Amino acid sequence: MAFISSGYNPEKPMENRITDIGPRHFEEFYPPVIKANKGKWDYHEIVKPGVLKHVALSGDVCYTVRVGAARLMSITLIREACDVADKHCGGHLRFTTRNNIEFMVDAEAKVQPLIDDLMSRKFAGGSYKFPVGGTGAGVSNIVHTQGWAHCHTPATDASGPVKAVMDEMFEHFQSMDLPAMVRIALACCLNMCGAVHCSDIGIVGIHRKPPIIEHDRLDNICEIPLAISACPTAAIKPAKVDYDGKKVNTVAVNPERCMYCGNCYTMCPAMPLADMDGDGIVIMVGGKVSNRISMPKFSKVVVAYIPNEPPRWPTLTKTVKHIVDVYSKNAKKYERLGEWAERIGWEKFFELCDLEFTHHCIDDFRDPAYYTWRQSTQFKFTNAVK
Amino acid sequence: MEEQKQAIMEFLEGKKGKSKFYFSDFCKIFPDLKQREVKKFLTALVNEGKLEFWSSGSTTMYGIKGAGKQNAEED
Amino acid sequence: MAKHKTPLLDELESGPWPSFVSDIKMEAEHRHQNPDGLDYQIPVDCPDDLLGVMELSYKDKETHWKHGGIVGVFGYGGGVIGRYCDQPEKFPGVAHFHTVRVAQPAGKYYTTEYLRGIMDIWDLRGSGMTNMHGSTGDMVLLGTTTPQLEEIFYDLTHTMNTDLGGSGGNLRTPADCLGKSRCEFACYDTNAVCHALTNDYQDELHRPAFPYKFKFKFDGCPNSCVAALARSDFSVVGTWKDDIRIDQDRVKAYVAGEFKPNAGAHGSRDWGKFDIVAEVVDRCPTKCMSYDGAKLSIDNSNCTRCMHCINVMPAALKIGEETGASILLGAKAPILDGAQMSSLLMPFVVVEEPYDEIKEIIENIWDWWMEEGKNRERVGETMKRLSFQKLLEVTGIPAMPQHVKEPRSNPYIFFKEEEVPGGWTRDQQAFRERHKS
Repeated sequence: MAFISSGYNPEKPMENRITDIGPRHFEEFYPPVIKANKGKWDYHEIVKPGVLKHVALSGDVCYTVRVGAARLMSITLIREACDVADKHCGGHLRFTTRNNIEFMVDAEAKVQPLIDDLMSRKFAGGSYKFPVGGTGAGVSNIVHTQGWAHCHTPATDASGPVKAVMDEMFEHFQSMDLPAMVRIALACCLNMCGAVHCSDIGIVGIHRKPPIIEHDRLDNICEIPLAISACPTAAIKPAKVDYDGKKVNTVAVNPERCMYCGNCYTMCPAMPLADMDGDGIVIMVGGKVSNRISMPKFSKVVVAYIPNEPPRWPTLTKTVKHIVDVYSKNAKKYERLGEWAERIGWEKFFELCDLEFTHHCIDDFRDPAYYTWRQSTQFKFTNAVK
Repeated sequence: MEEQKQAIMEFLEGKKGKSKFYFSDFCKIFPDLKQREVKKFLTALVNEGKLEFWSSGSTTMYGIKGAGKQNAEED
Repeated sequence: MAKHKTPLLDELESGPWPSFVSDIKMEAEHRHQNPDGLDYQIPVDCPDDLLGVMELSYKDKETHWKHGGIVGVFGYGGGVIGRYCDQPEKFPGVAHFHTVRVAQPAGKYYTTEYLRGIMDIWDLRGSGMTNMHGSTGDMVLLGTTTPQLEEIFYDLTHTMNTDLGGSGGNLRTPADCLGKSRCEFACYDTNAVCHALTNDYQDELHRPAFPYKFKFKFDGCPNSCVAALARSDFSVVGTWKDDIRIDQDRVKAYVAGEFKPNAGAHGSRDWGKFDIVAEVVDRCPTKCMSYDGAKLSIDNSNCTRCMHCINVMPAALKIGEETGASILLGAKAPILDGAQMSSLLMPFVVVEEPYDEIKEIIENIWDWWMEEGKNRERVGETMKRLSFQKLLEVTGIPAMPQHVKEPRSNPYIFFKEEEVPGGWTRDQQAFRERHKS
């Protein structure tokens, strides 16, 4: 490999340096029908799953075909999406917050050829490259984090569980057959890059063991004051231990205080956190961010621990599918998962969904805990009361 | 400006066992100055190549360029 | 021929949903074939080794990545996340595998020309793997080596006229919904304000001086498609002050079945004939609507703008004309003190260039948080620690009932000394003249 210079001169880093220009202006990227009708849209309609029709006051129409995508994607796949956009959409496309890709055309006649093209493209392994769907009262794409593909403190993988759950949810991605939209999100640890705590179904990686402390090398590779100050709960203290017959400087972790956040591992590679037996998944349900009908809500823990079961996480996918099935059967039209659970009562939710309520599902973390206990004699009898 | 930059370098050179500091640590050197002023001195030192950033991904710290045990690990 | 055997990952190739495993394999194949004859600047087999290290994680159920403190390019304190593999001998292609965050354009619209330009840089100088997009909103280029970082930045700024995004304790790349560009619900131009503030605050974005990260998100309406009030410290959510506009003819058309109810969102299941009373009027959370069989009426003074009726009949009901946004502050993920959503700070603000009113609020909040915030403390936690009242004080916003769901239920009110006549200095003599000791 011969080094190819971009023009950057390491001897003079400030020479010809361009900084602080920010992203490109959005108007450069609008498709013509969008540019012409911005701020002058009349109404929209979901023509069929994955296809939106926006009608402008001018009479112009924009059809959008939405496709799911794995957030972790190759440049070859993105170039292929560009090929589709060049062929059908005048060289424009957009991405959504939920990692979907949207292809826009300005006439109804252009929709079906676009869909046919998208649905015909498959990976060598057999899965769709650009499955059409993700609109309305169904399951849209899962927003998620990095997991074992890139993160140093994950308690589970991200891309794998997402693939496994979306395979299971695929019928709801391709149709709009649920009482309301179901938003699923995954965070591979509680640091929650891209907070998932207000999702209909939140899949969250958790650690359950404090970090290992490698006394033999900690002082050589870590600055102890930095490891100490990285801890949000002040669980780390300086320590001296006997190692190989000599006293070494190191740290001690108070396991009662440790929240398994991994901040110390970030600062100090001699404090690894990952543990095949300790790590796993929590399922949280009933959150939402929309202000529609009821106020936004946090998701609640309904399954306190599921072990990591790569490659296809069968317990996780089975549980998520069952919750969605029961919700679909029992909720009223327009009712989000959390609204349904609140209407019937959480005790009823656990019974209907065949979920075991354990002491881990009762909040015991700081102030808000008390407000989640029941200060009332109003409750429903379920199979939990013997 | 030179005087304050000098004070920052002396603060950092005087620290043993720790090579990286939060922005707020530097603000304590100049209790009478606004945070935005302190940032200007730090930015100047970064642009002169004397200081560098270190990030945990979620937080960011400043240190003398090339100093510290982390640095030895990374390259 | 695959470099590593990946029997566990291979099980993620079946099923209909796009397989990231198949995709990484496709990229590995692309790099081996090298159709463009590139002199790859990082190892050709990094996609193979990415599969290899992930397969090992699938076997071990543990990650094999280590953090690196490398931050960015010269002068920047963000935009790059340092990453190293903890099995570099087995997987040399990903031994150094840093992330580059590229600022996404507002609304995430692209031309293929631009995207191809970014992909060409990443083909030559990176792993060929990306995230479209990262959780904050950036385009995430996944995996390159340290010597390539300055080269990538030079290419991005000089060839693509674009910049890095944020990471670490600074302003993160702001993100928005597509807003007025393609949505009739948008109450302000999210793309415009997102782009303007991103550019106005480039220094805060690239040179960290905050206690912790700070995020802006812009939702055009209360449907909150970018989840601003769950995912951003500073959440701007579109709203309006005047009346919902009603087109009675189109209401009748919905009732008659000429328009699909709920904009077609329930189209795959037979929920029966559209019932405007059951589905709209009775579902209104404030019960401020009525329908007499011919005319829909709304008592707008009692409307809380939840969007339900508008969502169900978008052709017939429109947001008001006096539009703007509500500003909420303080959302964050669970670490440390539990998850928070943003709390309402400004019920209504007009969102128009040059956005001075919004910027004044932002800068007042920053000044306060930079002064009072502890290291690693999100502004939502500073608010909790120092009180909502303190936030009102520093932003100069008067307290109003809209700020709370309900008034306090504990009467331990700590009045300030100046709020009590005569202050806290007591006159013992006068007291004893009234009371015998």
